[in-house]
Amino acid sequence: MIKIQNLLKKYDEKVALNHLSLEIKAGTVFGLLGPNGAGKTTLISILNGLTKYDEGTVSVFDLPLNENLHAIRKRCALVPQSLAFYENLTVIENLKFFGGIQNIPAETLKKNIDYAVETNRLGSMLKQRSSTLSGGQKRRLNIAIGLLNDPDILFFDEPTVGIDPESRNEILETILSFKRENKTVVYTSHYMPEIEKICDEVAIINAGEIIRQGTLESMLRNDETDQVVIEIYETPLPELQAVCEKMPSLRLISETNLMLEGNSSQQVSEALTLLESLSVAVRNIRYGTTTLESLFISLTSKGRADV
Amino acid sequence: MFKAMLIKEFLLVSRDKHALAALFIMPAVFILIMSLALKDVFNEEKALIEYAVVDHDNSLESYAIISKLRANKLMNEHNISESYGKPKEEGVQFIVVIPKGFKNQFSQSDANNSALQIEVASDIGQSHLMLFKTQILSSVMQTRLDAVNLAQEMQHARQGKSSSYQKISFDEKKMMKVHYAALEEGEKPTSTQQSVPSWIVFGLFFVIIPMSTIFISERKQNTLMRLSTMNVSLPVLFGGKIIPYMLINQLQVWVMIAVGMFVVPLFGAAPLTIGGDLSALFTVSIALSLSAIGLSILIATVVDSVEQATTIGGIINILLGAIGGIMVPKFVMPEFMREFANVSPMSWGLEGFLDVFLRRGTLNDVLYEVTGLLLFGLVSLLLAAVVFNYKIRRVA
Repeated sequence: MIKIQNLLKKYDEKVALNHLSLEIKAGTVFGLLGPNGAGKTTLISILNGLTKYDEGTVSVFDLPLNENLHAIRKRCALVPQSLAFYENLTVIENLKFFGGIQNIPAETLKKNIDYAVETNRLGSMLKQRSSTLSGGQKRRLNIAIGLLNDPDILFFDEPTVGIDPESRNEILETILSFKRENKTVVYTSHYMPEIEKICDEVAIINAGEIIRQGTLESMLRNDETDQVVIEIYETPLPELQAVCEKMPSLRLISETNLMLEGNSSQQVSEALTLLESLSVAVRNIRYGTTTLESLFISLTSKGRADV
Repeated sequence: MFKAMLIKEFLLVSRDKHALAALFIMPAVFILIMSLALKDVFNEEKALIEYAVVDHDNSLESYAIISKLRANKLMNEHNISESYGKPKEEGVQFIVVIPKGFKNQFSQSDANNSALQIEVASDIGQSHLMLFKTQILSSVMQTRLDAVNLAQEMQHARQGKSSSYQKISFDEKKMMKVHYAALEEGEKPTSTQQSVPSWIVFGLFFVIIPMSTIFISERKQNTLMRLSTMNVSLPVLFGGKIIPYMLINQLQVWVMIAVGMFVVPLFGAAPLTIGGDLSALFTVSIALSLSAIGLSILIATVVDSVEQATTIGGIINILLGAIGGIMVPKFVMPEFMREFANVSPMSWGLEGFLDVFLRRGTLNDVLYEVTGLLLFGLVSLLLAAVVFNYKIRRVA
């Protein structure tokens, strides 16, 4: 569906994308991970025809991007990180405006607005000024606007920034529903648990290069590692920090994951005893695997690794 | 605690270059412009009045008056041909026509047929006209007194005794007839006619603030980027701004005209009347609107925040008004400032409206100003498109 070969993009002398190649299959939820300045936004901008590239080829729907930009854009949608709509318009006015500007026939537009409203549970707030919506509702409106042309490909640029966990889960469920409708989703985020939850494939990008790409399962499997991931239920941060202080081989890698360096039964037993003594409830123990966050940190801090 | 508050506030203001511009640079430039504009008003050595004389009498008396006017430091004479045009076309405020037989004023009591004719530019205020009439009257009085004195001295020399008392009277109405260019005989422009056009022009340019504010919010929120991904082209984007704001500007014009026509008289002032063609009024309004909108979009693309847009937009608006003759009438400005006023589109807009409101202008009369305004608007839009494309590429 999206095929990128040998893509080079420079800003003056600074290389933003360094001969990058990538393929995204139809119907997948594809996660694009990378630290700030890695080249994610440049890549998304190029795929949406907002930025020109210097070398390489990009094709979408098997059509060369530059020659077919207008036609390709009609089948794609970008949901930017910022709330790209008009706060002084009501929800329905925003939807009608962004639909109308795309010259979508009236009957199709009505159908698509109904679909966008239903998918994002905006029905009860159609006549409400967008400025009065909650953070989560605004995010949902941002996504709903992206559905107005019934796109085959949706680009999400960190769509859950700054919202509460409940709204975040609702949005992730919405995105998973696109997968069931065989839409392709390209998703960038800094929240590793989100990527782990919704993505089929992931590419880690650093300094303009893809440093690891594959299915989520294959990326997290690591038979050679002596690390153990201990999944825990959500626990206040001070208690987790106290755990790690008492046992230096335990490292906090996310709000629900601890990494134990060493997989001997004695080390694992010691860790579990300590957690129990501090009332930290354990959900799961995974041997021979790593977390996306751990993998991401190790790859991006080491620099380039073998793909 | 209070010390910390003071230090914080000073640091914040000193690092906000737009606040500094509004606080220091704008007033400094404003003072400069206004001082230059009013430079000659309080300078006794500089001429305040630009005039021309057409002498059909060619008598000693007419020459005496012309000489006295020339000697007056308040006045600056321009040379014009016998087939002169309107004062505005000749670049003067007043044209004094000395009719054939003018010298009879000095020997006949009824001088109605030989009164001086004074053609006045329509935008000249009453105080300026009074000043000019006083200068003329003074010159005529001196000339007549000189003539009487001379006659009496000659009689005295011939008869060896003083002559009998000769009555000298000065009736201003009989002595000079004032006519405002493009107006009917006896008709005078009102202060409403002279001031409302300025405020219409000024008001239209305030479109800079709401328009640039919305445009910048759209840019900051990536709404414009989203529209680009929806195949919205730059002409459609700009067109979508120009047309609504042009309609808003037209509404502004008619609301302000309505206030001049119906509200102002309620407070005892003369009502506004539209002397010229409605088509000319409509054309000037559209052209002025395009130049204001073009400038607004240019500002919106150049600056980076709403705060910058409101500050810079406000400053530019006031400065263009000061330069363009909105705050100080151009006829009191020195010549170089009158020339400099032409850099401001407000000056062209004002002249266009004055043509319509004061000079009974037709579409033909406003073509020059309309062309200038349209060109200014189009060049601004073109520059805005270049800056916008450059910024979009840089941000993406």
